[in-house]
Amino acid sequence: MIEIQDLSFTYQDEKKPALEGISLSLREGDFLGIIGPAGAGKTTLGRAISGIVPHHYKGDFYGSVTVGGMDTVDSSLIDISRLVGMVFQDVDSQIICPTVEDELLYGLENFGIGRDEIPERIGFALGKVGIPELRERSIGSLSGGQRQKVAIASVIALKPRVLVLDEPTGELDPQSSRQVFTLLRELNEEFGITIVVIEQKIMLLCEFARRLLVLNEGKAVHEGETRQVLSHAEDLENIGVNIPRVATLSRALSRKTGKEIPVCINLDEAEKTARGLMA
Amino acid sequence: MNHVLQYIPGNSVIHRMNPVTKLLLTIIICVCAFMTDNLFFLLGLLAVDLMIGFVAGVAGRTLKIFRGLLMIAAFLFILQALLTRRGTPVFWIITDEGLMGAGRVVLRLIVVCMPLALVLAVTRISDLTNALVQHLHVPYQYAFTLATAIRFIPQFLEEMNGIMEAQTARGVAFDQARGLKKFSMILPLCAPLLISSVRRTDQTAVAAEVRGFRLRTRASAYRRYTFTALDAATFLFCALLLAGAILIR
Repeated sequence: MIEIQDLSFTYQDEKKPALEGISLSLREGDFLGIIGPAGAGKTTLGRAISGIVPHHYKGDFYGSVTVGGMDTVDSSLIDISRLVGMVFQDVDSQIICPTVEDELLYGLENFGIGRDEIPERIGFALGKVGIPELRERSIGSLSGGQRQKVAIASVIALKPRVLVLDEPTGELDPQSSRQVFTLLRELNEEFGITIVVIEQKIMLLCEFARRLLVLNEGKAVHEGETRQVLSHAEDLENIGVNIPRVATLSRALSRKTGKEIPVCINLDEAEKTARGLMA
Repeated sequence: MNHVLQYIPGNSVIHRMNPVTKLLLTIIICVCAFMTDNLFFLLGLLAVDLMIGFVAGVAGRTLKIFRGLLMIAAFLFILQALLTRRGTPVFWIITDEGLMGAGRVVLRLIVVCMPLALVLAVTRISDLTNALVQHLHVPYQYAFTLATAIRFIPQFLEEMNGIMEAQTARGVAFDQARGLKKFSMILPLCAPLLISSVRRTDQTAVAAEVRGFRLRTRASAYRRYTFTALDAATFLFCALLLAGAILIR
């Protein structure tokens, strides 16, 4: 679904490249988490997948990005956006319309979704993010978290094949953050939508993402299956990415006991491992 | 975040009117206010303004706008009354013509501004732009620009407050300064406001773009805006107002 080959990108008027030599291959239905310290190029990579780089943000673009068979440089932004939905980091600037319903209508109207299908799509999107009661509300009267959900709803209403989200839980409390990730999992499993999510909360990524990409200073540090990436705990800590405590624990146990213990990525696994060791 | 231009949801007669009709009524009231010099007719128009606000169920907002305008009007009235030199003096340097003239200017100001602000309180911006595109064939880009400009006002205010709070936290005493001094303290903040606003506007442009801004045509809007008997009645009312303004100058 997404093929990135040796991608390097430098924004116009900047000397340092935002991305350097990134290669990545995602199949349809993959769930990728991107993590890394500030300024690592996470947002730029998200923009590259959704075609905003290089179509809107100009600069020196090397390598290639192919999404659903379309080369993002050769295709128009419109064609890419029919396939890829993007939720931006700054939610306030993403929202275009003054009310929730209008915001959802905006994309649906523009992409020419049939009139008979529109009410169902709006109901579906609002229901999925769990805010059907906000339909008539004005954006100004919503909290930051509610706005974030509106932004997500407005994108999933379009039923994209690929969904790119740039820190979608930035303004959410822990419970709502989990809700968002549970929603992403549902979209991923039920509809086979490919998910690419930039996220700082490592615990959520461990639980929900099947693959992880760790970026630092524009370069890929590690990429692969979540558990495998987490086994490079030292590298991650060196660049300032926290790893979950359960992973730290299993590593410490492994060192102490001298046994080969697989990295734990959630509490259940840690419990099982600990019980296994005590038995 | 509740500012004077924000939409107030409702289901009143005014809310249900076609946005184009609402705009027409607004424009007709403005035109009438400039055509007539008759103080009583102007007062009548003011009554129409207030009535629209009350019928729409936004009395609170109407009075808020009215009060705000009265403050500006009071200042303008004094200035105008002092500066008019014609007519017979009533007391000191103030003449009868000065008072009449000032009254007209002030009333005109209020009569014109009220419906302009009210129309936004009772119409969703998106309905307004959609209807303009649908019926008056306004190019969508222009309608979008207008809608976005109005939508940005509260955002800018929010941002400005944020910047001022940040400055206050670092010891700038905005609350102790008044008038010109306060103005000179706020002026330097325009640079960060402008920078963040331009950045934000750019992001909004991208967001619109990836959701098919360029694909939008006149037929895109989901909601249809038809004209009903209510609109016909309003058109008639507009014609009456206009006739009144021509007859009672």
